Amino acid sequence: MNRKRALVTLLVTVAIAWGSIGAMLLAGWAPKLGLDLQGGFSVVLVGPEGTDADTLETAAQIMRRRIADLGAVQEPEISVQGERAIIVQLPGVEDRERALEAVGTTGEMSFRPVLNLVQASPALTEPDGDHPDNLDPVTGLSDPDDVDSEIAYLPDEDGLFVYIVGPAFLTGADLEGGRAAFQPTGGPGGAGGWVVVPEFTDDGGEKFRSATGELAGYPVGSPQRQLAIVVDGVVGSAPAVAADVNPAEGLDPNQVVITIGASDEPQAEAEDLASILNYGALPTTFERERVESVSATLGSDSLRAGLIAGLIGLLLVAVYMIIYYRILGVIAVLGLTVFGSILVGALILLGETQGTTLTLAGVTGIVVSVGITLDSYIVYFERIKEECHSGRPLRPSVDHAYPGAFGTILKGDTVTFLAAVLLWLLAIGPVKGFALTLGIATVIDVIVSYYYTRPSTWIVAHSPLGEDGWFSIRGAMGKGTKRDTRPEPVEVAS
Amino acid sequence: MSVFTRMYRGETRFDFVAISRKTLIVSAALVAVSLLLLLVRPLNLSIDFTGGVIVTVQNEADADITEVRSALAGIGQAGARVQLTGEGYILIQTESLDSNAQDLLVLTAAEVAGTDVNEVTLDAVGPTFGAEVTHAAIQALVVFLFIVALFITWRFEWKMALTALAALFHDLAITAGLFAAVGFSVTPATVIALLTILGYSLYDTVVVFDKVTENVDLMHDRYTYTDIVNTSMNQVLMRSINTSLTSLLPVGSLLFVGSLAFGAETLKEFALALFIGIAIGTYSSIFVAAPLLALWKEREEEWILAGKRAQRRRGGAVPVPVAAEVEPVAAAPVVPPPVSQTQGGAAARAPRKRKKRR
Repeated sequence: MNRKRALVTLLVTVAIAWGSIGAMLLAGWAPKLGLDLQGGFSVVLVGPEGTDADTLETAAQIMRRRIADLGAVQEPEISVQGERAIIVQLPGVEDRERALEAVGTTGEMSFRPVLNLVQASPALTEPDGDHPDNLDPVTGLSDPDDVDSEIAYLPDEDGLFVYIVGPAFLTGADLEGGRAAFQPTGGPGGAGGWVVVPEFTDDGGEKFRSATGELAGYPVGSPQRQLAIVVDGVVGSAPAVAADVNPAEGLDPNQVVITIGASDEPQAEAEDLASILNYGALPTTFERERVESVSATLGSDSLRAGLIAGLIGLLLVAVYMIIYYRILGVIAVLGLTVFGSILVGALILLGETQGTTLTLAGVTGIVVSVGITLDSYIVYFERIKEECHSGRPLRPSVDHAYPGAFGTILKGDTVTFLAAVLLWLLAIGPVKGFALTLGIATVIDVIVSYYYTRPSTWIVAHSPLGEDGWFSIRGAMGKGTKRDTRPEPVEVAS
Repeated sequence: MSVFTRMYRGETRFDFVAISRKTLIVSAALVAVSLLLLLVRPLNLSIDFTGGVIVTVQNEADADITEVRSALAGIGQAGARVQLTGEGYILIQTESLDSNAQDLLVLTAAEVAGTDVNEVTLDAVGPTFGAEVTHAAIQALVVFLFIVALFITWRFEWKMALTALAALFHDLAITAGLFAAVGFSVTPATVIALLTILGYSLYDTVVVFDKVTENVDLMHDRYTYTDIVNTSMNQVLMRSINTSLTSLLPVGSLLFVGSLAFGAETLKEFALALFIGIAIGTYSSIFVAAPLLALWKEREEEWILAGKRAQRRRGGAVPVPVAAEVEPVAAAPVVPPPVSQTQGGAAARAPRKRKKRR
């Protein structure tokens, strides 16, 4: 390392760290705080009378997965309340629309045979005697819709067509979910295309097989070959059974794919349908009873107490480090601000793009990572001391100590990083928030150590602060190490 | 020269492995007591795990959170979770209560909200950190321990992996035992604290083992494994002390402020778990993981031979960098005991490597 390279590395690192956080703060960005620290929006979902406890529990689980998958809101708190309600608290959500969007479609999903397809028209507003009682006289649609009714009039998503459908073959409970995938071949005209792969329960698979067998008996091109996927009384999609399906056998539920037809955005459409299958799989219909903002659970008093405590703690640490390591301690404390800037910057970015919120758990991750990053300095500084005490001059000691120290830091950070990644992948809820902060912090620690600590220590070692005075690096080494300038050390017995 | 001066210079010659024979007994006893305590007096799980009751009341009196909290503290519900909603409701969640306590809660809620008792609704509420979440967390933990063991085996060796896990178990058991003893409630935050301890303890142990591995390369032909472990721990001693101090200072101030500040119940429990865990984590990497490793490795043939060589040499003038404060042995026996764990403690007085300089 030479002076120019060390200086450039150091300046670039510090400029990036401090510059980016400054820019973000100027732009008015701040980390999004979690439910415990800032509150959010609460949605209470109520199931029908007599919903049993297991169904509620399943619904809460599906809801938890759904919100996690959507990724826009992190660490929601979801619990079953009373006899038939689910309370969903969403951190970092500031308005009603976002809250409802995150909770998503809560209605019941069903697969129903299409009897006929008509244009939405006022003609339907005068239903004749054949129509069922629940037909709304104004819209000409079934309201309320019952999945078991013999005939129902349901609109498509755009309200352009009305599907006349029969009683449901399958409901959400028969489905495990679905996923969007790209099929390289076999699409329209043999080209590749986006498809949706539904996943059925064992029971649901059998129902699906017999249903598709029945539909395959109708002539190709007839609307009666279509299977309407209905969510909340709206037909989300109505794929037709392919021409080559044998009516006697139906479709193999394990090999079925739903092909997306001509569309401007086939991928988006496939993903939409997959999410309908995933999230429509709620076991019963829920109504949104209350949607309202809620305050933080921890309260501003404890938040303030925590912040004060954190600042006092950091101050004590800074004082200790500087007294013990002198100028090296100053390097560590300044390094902490570099580290902190990058970490907070990363959290702000994640909050803006991923909806990641900072909870008490995440704050712990930060506190712990402060310990870890300070340890990286201590490991390095102690190694420099060791080298000096073994008789090596100061500047070579500083250079020579780094590779070993970096090796130790890398191994320690790898273990912590592994922990964080696994926790993030496998855990849910607050554990995820903690893992995220901790994982990011270990990566930043390695970067800061290499691009900040090494050049800054090198520069100080090659400046007057290396050798001269009690505050220098030499001063921090304690007595009993020899100066570079002395040709022969003077030996004094103790 | 005082012991602190020597520590500062990294010139201590503590015989950690010899000391640890006593501390290992203490540690084992503490772990046993903790496990017993956990059996006799299960952990006090918070509403996040067990569910409880939720009270909803229209906030006629426009009370703020602090007022509600202090009213609740008056009836022994300081740990309740209080939220205000945008539509002017107060939500209070507590653990499941008997009917008397429930009535009292409803009464207090009505009073603080300035409404009639009949306006208060009380409902059972399920856990937010339910079985599914707990299950996922445990699963993550098991996979994590397995992968970490593999990683340590790959970078170091499998005996280090097992001793590191033993130290980890020691830390978690004692921390959990303390929670059971004090009766603090276990919240998701304290679970996080436990996970933190886990990472911290492992990190500390990895640093010590890294030094041991490095010293094995440098010293293996002249010293016993115990000597090497002792040397390594003396070398990392100041690092361990400084690192735990710098980690404990912020947590300690969190604990201190959390205990003083009103309504910071969560902070207090959380900081306590962290504080104890970090302290024990540092302790165990020095007094549990490394000594166990030394005791174990000394049984390997290679190290038994190394022990014999070192002992033979001690008849001569080869210095050993350990055991300054231990009585010297007159002469090396021709056949040393097969387990050379006693040798570190009974080695010849070690002359300093270099003369002290001022």
